[in-house]
Amino acid sequence: MSEPVIRVVDLWKSYEDLEVLKGVSFELAEREVKVIFGPSGSGKSTLLRCINMLSPPEKGDIFLRGQKITEQGVNLNKVRTRLGMVFQHFNLFAHLRAIDNVSIGLRRVKGMNKDEAQAKAFEALNRVRMAQWVDHYPAQLSGGQQQRVGIARALAMEPDVILFDEPTSALDPELIGEVLQVMLDLAKTGTTMIVVTHELGFAKAVASEMIFLGEGTIIERGSPQHFFVSPKSEIVKKFLKQLEVLYGTHEELLKPPDKENY
Amino acid sequence: MKVEEKSLEGKKFKSRKVLLGASIGIISIILAIIISNLICSLPIFINSDYCIVIGFWDRIVAGFLTTMWLYGWSLMFGFFLGLFLALLRQYGGSIFSQGATIYIEFIRGTPLIAQLFFIFYGLNIPIENWNILTEFTIFGKEITFVFLNHRILFGIMALSLNSAAYQAEYFRGAMMSVGTEQLLAAQSLGMSRVTAIRHVILPQALRRVIPAWSNEAAYLPKYTVVVSLIGTTELFGQAKTIVSNTFISLSTYIIVAIIFLVTIAIVSKGLDLLHKRTGIPGL
Repeated sequence: MSEPVIRVVDLWKSYEDLEVLKGVSFELAEREVKVIFGPSGSGKSTLLRCINMLSPPEKGDIFLRGQKITEQGVNLNKVRTRLGMVFQHFNLFAHLRAIDNVSIGLRRVKGMNKDEAQAKAFEALNRVRMAQWVDHYPAQLSGGQQQRVGIARALAMEPDVILFDEPTSALDPELIGEVLQVMLDLAKTGTTMIVVTHELGFAKAVASEMIFLGEGTIIERGSPQHFFVSPKSEIVKKFLKQLEVLYGTHEELLKPPDKENY
Repeated sequence: MKVEEKSLEGKKFKSRKVLLGASIGIISIILAIIISNLICSLPIFINSDYCIVIGFWDRIVAGFLTTMWLYGWSLMFGFFLGLFLALLRQYGGSIFSQGATIYIEFIRGTPLIAQLFFIFYGLNIPIENWNILTEFTIFGKEITFVFLNHRILFGIMALSLNSAAYQAEYFRGAMMSVGTEQLLAAQSLGMSRVTAIRHVILPQALRRVIPAWSNEAAYLPKYTVVVSLIGTTELFGQAKTIVSNTFISLSTYIIVAIIFLVTIAIVSKGLDLLHKRTGIPGL
C-alpha cells in the first residue's frame, strides 16, 4: 500500500485556556472520503484548520504525503496549494465573478496566464455545474451556487485533498441537495476528501470511514455501516438520535405531543 | 467561452473621463468669469460690493488654482501614505503597527497649524529661492500661478502628512470590514499574505472606503486655508489681499465661501458616482 495522503499524529490545539483538540490521530489514504462529525464545539473545524495550518497545532505532527508540514521552515503557502478548503460560509471573494474567484489562485499562486487560468477555471466550474454562471458575482448567486463555486475554487488548484468544513450547514434546506450532489460526484470520481458534516446520507453513500469527534478526542470510528447499525458509545447513540429527530426520520416526531408538556 | 475584455476599455474610458472633467472645470471657471463680469456690467450692479470684489477676479482665479493645486497633491500624497500607514497598522506586526499608531495619534492629536509651523519654521530646509511659476493672460489680465516654491512645498507637505493620518484610519476601517474570512480563504489557496492583501483585501477595501473617505476629500479643501498663514496666496490668502485693498470683507468672504461650497459639492458628487460605478454587482 502506498503512503497515506495525510497522516495526523497526536494533534493538540488550544485557544487560550480552552483545550480544543486533545490528541487526535488518523490517516487518510488516496481516494478516500473521511467524514468527521460530532457535537458543536468538539473541535471539528479546528481540526481542519490545523491540517492546512491556518491555525497551527501546538503539539503533534501532520504529514502530507510523507512530508512533515508541522516543521519549522516549511513553505506553508506551497503546502496549502495542495490542501483545498471549502468553507462553511463559502468565503468567496466578493469583488470577483465566479470565473475569477476560481482562476485567481491559478493566476496569483500558480502563475498561469489569464487565458490558461480561465480555461481551467471554466472546466472546474463545469464540473460543479456552474458553467452558466461564470460571469456572476457571488452576491448574485444563491447559497448553493456560491458553495459550488467555492468547491470549484478548491478543485481548480488540483489539490491532493479537499477539506470541507460543514459545507452545507449555512444553506437553506432546499439548496443542500445540489451541493451534496456535486460532492458525491467528486467522491465517486476519486477525489480524496475530509468532510466535516452532519449529512448522514452523504456519509452513508460515500464515506470510507466516519470519525466521531467529541470534546477534542476521537470517541469512535468506523464504517458508516458500523455507525448506523451498532454504534458503541452512549454519546454517539444519543447524538445520532438527535440528528434523526432533527431530520424528521425518527419515530418520536410522529408521536402525538405529550400533554404534560403543555 | 466569452469572459473579460472589458477591463482594458474601462481604463481608457477612465482617463478620458478625467480629461473631460478637467476641461469641464476650466470651461466652467471661464464661464463663471464671463457671467459674473457680464452681470456686474449692468448699471444697477456696477457699484455693489460684490461687483467691486469681482473686479479682482484675476486674484480669485489665481487663488482658486493654488487652492486646487495644494488640495490635489495633498489628497494624493495623503492617499498613498495613508494607505501605507493603514497597512502597517493592520497587518504590519506589533512593531510597525505601533509605529503607525503613534504617528496617526500624534498627527490627529495636534493642531494642523502647529504641524505646518513646525515644518515651515522648525525644519530649516534651505530652499527659499525655489520658484517655479507660470504667467498667463486671460481677458486682458495677467495671472501668476506658482507651481512650486518653499511655501507651496511646505504647505503640501504639512497637508499630506496630516491628511495621511486621517485617511489611514478610513482605510483601516474598510480593511477590517472586509474581514479575516476573506484572508483565510485566500491563504487556503496558497496565497501569501501580501498577495492576499493586494488581490483580495485591497480591491474590496478601496471600494468600501469611498463613502467614508469622501469626508476627507471634503475636509481637505478647507484645510488648505491654513496654508495662507505661511504666506501662500491660495484662495483665502488672495481674499485677504482683496479685503485690504477694498475694505469689503463680507462680500469677499461670501464669494470665497460660495467657491468652496461649489467645489466640494462637485467633489462629493464625483465620489458618489465613483462609488456607484465601482460597486460590486448584487451587493
